[in-house]
Amino acid sequence: MSLAHPDAMRSTRPEPTRTAPPFRPDYTTPRMRRYLLFDATGFLYLLVGFVVLRAIWALSSGSEAWAALLRDFQNPLYVIFHALCFVSVIFVGVRFFRLFPKAQPPRVGPLKPPPGPVIFALLYTVWIGVTIVFAAILAGVWP
Amino acid sequence: MSETETKTFVVTRFDPDRHAEPTTQSYEVPVRSDWKVLDALNYIKDEIDPTLSHRWSCRMAVCGSCGMNVNGQPKLTCKDSLAQYGDSVRVEPLANFPVIRDLVVELEGFLEKFKQVKPWIIRAKEKAVTEGTYSQSPEELEAFRQFSMCINCMLCYAACPVVANEPDFLGPAAIAIGHRYNIDSRDEGAHERNQVFRGEGTVFSCSYANECSEVCPKHVDPAAAINQAKFMAVLDWAQSLVLPRGGEEK
Repeated sequence: MSLAHPDAMRSTRPEPTRTAPPFRPDYTTPRMRRYLLFDATGFLYLLVGFVVLRAIWALSSGSEAWAALLRDFQNPLYVIFHALCFVSVIFVGVRFFRLFPKAQPPRVGPLKPPPGPVIFALLYTVWIGVTIVFAAILAGVWP
Repeated sequence: MSETETKTFVVTRFDPDRHAEPTTQSYEVPVRSDWKVLDALNYIKDEIDPTLSHRWSCRMAVCGSCGMNVNGQPKLTCKDSLAQYGDSVRVEPLANFPVIRDLVVELEGFLEKFKQVKPWIIRAKEKAVTEGTYSQSPEELEAFRQFSMCINCMLCYAACPVVANEPDFLGPAAIAIGHRYNIDSRDEGAHERNQVFRGEGTVFSCSYANECSEVCPKHVDPAAAINQAKFMAVLDWAQSLVLPRGGEEK
């Protein structure tokens, strides 16, 4: 039996009878596993932060340091790490886009958000558009 | 006449006077194909073991009394058909709540959180009865109607991973009902509630697991309410910085 925090949903007043500690929700269901996986992606982004810091340091240290960084990026471990990050970004993005439309307030002053499917379509359009622009810049095709 | 088959029910038992901690007890129950989980629990209570304690009342998914964890998932047992389960069914008290006895959980903690969000219409100045009613258009009603369908069954609390780890978190149902009043066109208490929402362990503790909405038997979608409430609490805070008297009077 797994337990939740012993004070979860406990009254601030003394209880009239002794109670058993709260059980924990079942974390083994497919939905909860997906949520835990989503939470775990935070660790990947922490590592990405360190990589970015290293890249900034390399940029400020001259062309040799930058070239060394690019060489390191060809290391299979780095390639696997970046592939993992890519999959994780898609996973987080899809989850975020699915949940974002219903988080919109019904009205802000006189303004109403567009219907959920429109927000959903806009998010994907912007995502795909930005990806194409970045891919074109990185490939040297544009501007 | 419906067919009968025997299923094994593994039920949590806890008597505060006799048990140091909860245990389980198995019961063989001849169930009919049209039975709900609650029917089997009532059969156990009536025919096998009268000491079993569980809550129930309306038997039509309206009162919200019979919430329990069935095979690990929070369910309204009067609505949850037994046909979907195999030969063994595990019935436990709702997760995240202290257990009073067997399948009965302590709800006092929830009621305290519920009161914090002021779940009633707040007016800056009450109208006299002679001035007539507060009218509301169908569109204004539609804005909050979904969030007013909550029956306080507590399934959302039992599913929430944040409730399991943060005792101060107001939780899905309480925030959903607070948000319901915040977006009610007759209400003028949003600023008061938003101060509660911005406090420690409140709307921003939600990590949007969305489990509350997945298990809600009335499709209230508390996760949507909480995340809308986050936005409105921030907007209210920003307004309080620029408006006279912190935007208290609207």
